[in-house]
Amino acid sequence: MLKTFFDELFSDVGVYDAIRVTFQMAVTSTLLSAVVGTFLGMALERFTFPGKRLVIRINRTLMGVPPVVVGLLVYMLTMRRGPLGRLELLFTIKGMILAQTIIITPIICGLVYTYAAKTAPAVRVFAKTMGAGKLQTDLLLLREMKHEIYFAVVTGFGRSISEVGAVMLVGGNIKGHTRTMTTAISLLKSQGIFTEGLTLGILLLVMAFILQCLADFFRKESDVNENY
Amino acid sequence: MRIIDLEKKVGDFQLHIEDLKIEEGQIHGFIGSNGSGKTTLAKIIMGILKPDQGKVDYGSMKMTEITMTSQRPYLLHDSVYENIVYPLKIRKIRPDRQKIADLLEDCGLSGKEMQPARSLSSGEQQKVSMLRALCFHPRLVMIDETLSNLDPDSVDYFEQMIRRIHREEKNTWILISHRLSHIARMCTRVHFLEKGSVLQSGSVEEVLFHSQVSQVQQFLRGEALRAQDPTWEHGSENP
Repeated sequence: MLKTFFDELFSDVGVYDAIRVTFQMAVTSTLLSAVVGTFLGMALERFTFPGKRLVIRINRTLMGVPPVVVGLLVYMLTMRRGPLGRLELLFTIKGMILAQTIIITPIICGLVYTYAAKTAPAVRVFAKTMGAGKLQTDLLLLREMKHEIYFAVVTGFGRSISEVGAVMLVGGNIKGHTRTMTTAISLLKSQGIFTEGLTLGILLLVMAFILQCLADFFRKESDVNENY
Repeated sequence: MRIIDLEKKVGDFQLHIEDLKIEEGQIHGFIGSNGSGKTTLAKIIMGILKPDQGKVDYGSMKMTEITMTSQRPYLLHDSVYENIVYPLKIRKIRPDRQKIADLLEDCGLSGKEMQPARSLSSGEQQKVSMLRALCFHPRLVMIDETLSNLDPDSVDYFEQMIRRIHREEKNTWILISHRLSHIARMCTRVHFLEKGSVLQSGSVEEVLFHSQVSQVQQFLRGEALRAQDPTWEHGSENP
């Protein structure tokens, strides 16, 4: 019955496909960014090199880059005459994932770097006193930062799922193909269909709420473990 | 092990050790007032700090055979058990669960194996860090004030444990402590540090009871008064 209601309500904008595309894009881009961002954040903390401060500042700037700028950049790169035109990424989910990954990676990298800079000195000293090797120390640091990395990834996922500017430009908001929940809301608003738009917005909020609950669950577990 | 012509500058503080021999198989005590360089020296031996000049000659000892515990130990975000078995796991040694349970019971941590280590009291955390440091049989163990927060029974337990391990394994110990009674009971060699230099090295008798070095005498008097230990008297045979 509920399915029928939603079928009738959202048949025009292809909401089920939009939910599928949203999650496909958000999950894939978050996973890619989690791997790349965590690696870069840890490497940034681990190594000292000339211009490191500048790199950190640039990354912090990129953490707040307007998605529409990234969207435009990816659009220019992936357009038929662009350097990546041959890959035919424009107006595809892959292109949207590329844009989202570029947006989220600096966020995860920046957060992981900040956490690592705080945690690593004590962990390294401890690892040394235990006779751990370099790889064992790095693995231990990752283990000790698991909650923080989790939060960085959740933050990245939240950004990805709620993004509209870049996906609109790169994806083109094609029904059933590249339309996401946020671009569908944008379309509904432009058509003056506010009720459906709002319902879709509530659905997005519910998803964000579930994510927040999960994050809180882990934070609570982490708090129990500490006794400062 | 030998420390030769070692220099390290940390802010305004300058550590300078001309020649210090740490004989293997002995229990060494580092004493001296706050900021004298005891912990800095231990950190250099541990490889945590790099000296500006000079070197530590470890002889046949490998860095993986050295360990150090501190007053505020780092505990993993994990259970008591996982903390204790960490050095065994990285050496691919299978932990003996029963033996660890027995050790925990002996030092008053019975039934806390699966409890998050960071939820323990500071004294209990120090016990966990001591057990963790000793479970992989290191050749050199440095204990930097780790026993300071423990109750007398626990201090007694760990002192006996150190003596037993030392007797069985003939390993080397460096104890850093302000408790002179603890140093006198445990150590075979004592090194007095002041302002980053070793002013006197020798047996417990030589340094704690018959020192001719005025700074050492002054320090011992001050520490004895501070400890308000009526049994301690400088020059006494049984502090």
